[in-house]
Amino acid sequence: MSLPGRILKRALLFSWLICLAAAYSVDAAENNSQTVRVKIGTILASNQSDDIDPKLSTMKNQLKVMKYRSYRLLKEETQNVVWQGTAVFEIPGGRSLTVTPQEFRNKQLALKVRLQHGDKPVVDTTVRLNNGGNFLLGGPPHEGGALVLSISATAQ
Amino acid sequence: MTDCKLIIESLGGWLDGELGSSDAEAIRVHLESCAACSAERRQLEKLQVSLKSLLVSDVPQIAFEPFWSGVRERITTKRSWYEGIMEWARPTFAGPGLAWTVPAVIVVLLAVFSLDSFWKLGAPRNNFAAVESIDAHGRNVALLREDETKTTVIWLYQNQEGENESSGENTETSPSF
Repeated sequence: MSLPGRILKRALLFSWLICLAAAYSVDAAENNSQTVRVKIGTILASNQSDDIDPKLSTMKNQLKVMKYRSYRLLKEETQNVVWQGTAVFEIPGGRSLTVTPQEFRNKQLALKVRLQHGDKPVVDTTVRLNNGGNFLLGGPPHEGGALVLSISATAQ
Repeated sequence: MTDCKLIIESLGGWLDGELGSSDAEAIRVHLESCAACSAERRQLEKLQVSLKSLLVSDVPQIAFEPFWSGVRERITTKRSWYEGIMEWARPTFAGPGLAWTVPAVIVVLLAVFSLDSFWKLGAPRNNFAAVESIDAHGRNVALLREDETKTTVIWLYQNQEGENESSGENTETSPSF
């Protein structure tokens, strides 16, 4: 085989190795994930003023969909939780939010979420979201407005 | 320069007239007295004669005209921009150039795709969440997927005899999405 042919063969072999390594690393990241970082942002949405909390600037566009005039971050809490484990977050107004990471597949996390008011369940849902993504759970009344919970999860 | 080995090594240059006068004279004197070197000289002279006769006999058979006309055509013909680009890129796609282009392209593609993992500015690029199940325990619930920010919103409406009354909280929980 000529010199260019040998170089081409080695380069193609090298490329295949890179592809295999990349595919393996993606797969390994999903299989080796031990914990999930769950972050809950508790936001009070109301029409009592026109202020938007500067701490919410990164999610301003997400919040605007709800058409309230004011958004204020009441609380932000992060917990690391093992797969199938449970993280409980205290929510203002005597509520609690329980998050249970179910599985990590195709770069998506499945979360089981339960919102309770005292002992009474308010909502139970199972949501599949992209790693590092979030969704909003809103509606519970609070201080003349409504609570909006931003629930995000990142596999560690 | 009288050593036979050196003389034999220099014979080719001597026969072609490439040596200086003193070296050429030393070789000539040596050849007169050395039978082995003289034999080597005769061999070289025979080889030269054979090569010359071969080239002279074959030259007329070589068709140079198509070659020269091709060269003239390439010089005089104005190339299109497309051909210019192809000409410029040809070394990249031939031989060792191609060998390095293929892995380079693959590495660049992998880098571009892996950028997705670092896309953490604001909302992720595709932030839609899939709601697999939902039980609002008798309350009305709305599920909204907003295209611009790729946001999924689950909105709970309070029933009149439910949480709102028991908590005694003043509320306005009916947003206009």
